[in-house]
Amino acid sequence: MSNLYERLGGENAVNAAVELFYRKVLADGRIAQFFDGVDMDQQIAKQKSFLTMAFGGPNNYTGADMRNAHKRLVAKGLNDSHVDAVIENLNYTLRDLGVPEKEVKEVAAIANSVRDDVLNR
Amino acid sequence: MLKFEDRSVELRPGETVLEALERAGIDAPSSCRSGNCQTCLHRAVEGVPPPDSQVGLTQGQKALGFFLPCVCLPTSPLTITRPDNVGARRDAVIRAIEPLAPDVIRLRVDADDFAYRPGQFLELVADGDLRRHYSLASHPEDDPFLEMHIRLHENGRMSRRLGEFKPGDRLHVAGPSGTCFYEGVHEEQRLLLIGAGTGLAPLYGVLRDALKRGHLGPIRLYHGARSRDGLYLDEELKALSRTRAHVDYRPCLLDPNAPAGGDVAATALHAEQDVKDSAIFLCGGENLVKRLKRDFFMRGASMKNIRSDAFTPSG
Ligand SMILES: Cc1cc2nc3c(=O)[nH]c(=O)nc-3n(C[C@H](O)[C@H](O)[C@H](O)COP(=O)(O)OP(=O)(O)OC[C@H]3O[C@@H](n4cnc5c(N)ncnc54)[C@H](O)[C@@H]3O)c2cc1C
Ligand code: HEM
Ligand code: FES
Repeated sequence: MSNLYERLGGENAVNAAVELFYRKVLADGRIAQFFDGVDMDQQIAKQKSFLTMAFGGPNNYTGADMRNAHKRLVAKGLNDSHVDAVIENLNYTLRDLGVPEKEVKEVAAIANSVRDDVLNR
Repeated sequence: MLKFEDRSVELRPGETVLEALERAGIDAPSSCRSGNCQTCLHRAVEGVPPPDSQVGLTQGQKALGFFLPCVCLPTSPLTITRPDNVGARRDAVIRAIEPLAPDVIRLRVDADDFAYRPGQFLELVADGDLRRHYSLASHPEDDPFLEMHIRLHENGRMSRRLGEFKPGDRLHVAGPSGTCFYEGVHEEQRLLLIGAGTGLAPLYGVLRDALKRGHLGPIRLYHGARSRDGLYLDEELKALSRTRAHVDYRPCLLDPNAPAGGDVAATALHAEQDVKDSAIFLCGGENLVKRLKRDFFMRGASMKNIRSDAFTPSG
């Protein structure tokens, strides 16, 4: 069996998901404020990094990178409820795209596995 | 094989441009190191970066040689620079400077060898250190000069300086920069151009370029202004939309009593419900650009179809 990223469709799957996902995040009053202020074009590229990572695709992020990327947000109050909300939006996005439930769970598990780094604890 | 500006950089077999820059001690930012986050963005000023190193960039960025060093394994010689490097300053001489409206001037300057795409912006330099960005309304194939539309702010430093200039005076220009130009647009795509004030300058450049390249799809141009004077190309644009059936010019005078705000953003958002397949250009103040970008994206426009320049004040 090929790896998760390949099963999801690789880069094309990321491209198909990224704008859908970003729209959901911006429409979600629980987390939208964390995405204000950053230019939307740049934000789309960061979302692509996020999705590639969550899909189990090629990336070179370390735990320290995740800590750094979210430090500014933790200072603004980022906590477990926000991580839950992001994973929830990720689940909805994948279901919209017709991804089977087994893969949806695997993606959520990868995102969840960096929770402590994201929250800097 | 690889040069960073005027410095030679050793590139070992199998090494990415990012790795080579780092080994040479050149300060190069990076994050994902896998071609997604665009933190490492650089631009090739000579040579052609491999297509694999341009995945995810806009058509405009690709046309200008932008690429991602972390996934770039060059196959031919490259000379690269940082993405915000505007290059050497060039001499420019004022050809004409005249009012378009009570607080807007049209500035035309002559500068040799200044290649650009209509809608890009340049850096105008006066007195050695006073630098401001202005967008280009001229067309390099039709106009022997660079044309800018500049709003004069009462206490603005460059505004005041421009008030004193006359034809024959010398300035400098650098650039061009920006990716708000007609590239990656399908000839039958619907074109939506929205701006306020001198945000019209780049849109006018884009409009002329689109027509010159034979754009076939409908073109709608919204121009917002606070007063009738501010619709400073009204007659010309009205005449244009009479002779070109697919061009629809919509002047928008600010109406403070209108229920939804009465500005050009509110007017355009009300009229443009279906933007999924449109190529969108947004230019003018930061608030206008941010609001329209977000709202059109949320309505289904793809970010790659939204090009914009916000006229952020400097400093
Ligand atoms: C990418 C880009 C493209 C641009 N293209 C154009 C163009 O085509 N035409 C054009 O007229 N301008 C354009 N600008 C804006 C221009 O670069 C200057 O910021 C503007 O001309 C003011 O310069 P100044 O030296 O006269 O005023 P400054 O001395 O810089 O500012 C004086 C005062 O005016 C205020 N101010 C400055 N700009 C604005 C503004 N836009 N709205 C409200 N208050 C303001 C400042 O806050 C300050 O209080 C562009 C800016 C960018 C970033
Ligand atoms: C669930 C686990 C998460 C993962 C795996 C993750 C992953 C990432 C990655 C890979 C980046 C790009 C970093 C870079 O290259 O600069 C990033 C940036 C970002 N993340 Fe997360 N993230 C997670 C949770 C969250 C949450 C919960 C929020 C807020 C609600 C959030 C908001 C952001 C923002 C705003 C950025 C951009 C930061 C910047 O550009 O300054 N992330 N994230
Ligand atoms: S470091 Fe992320 S794209 Fe190059």
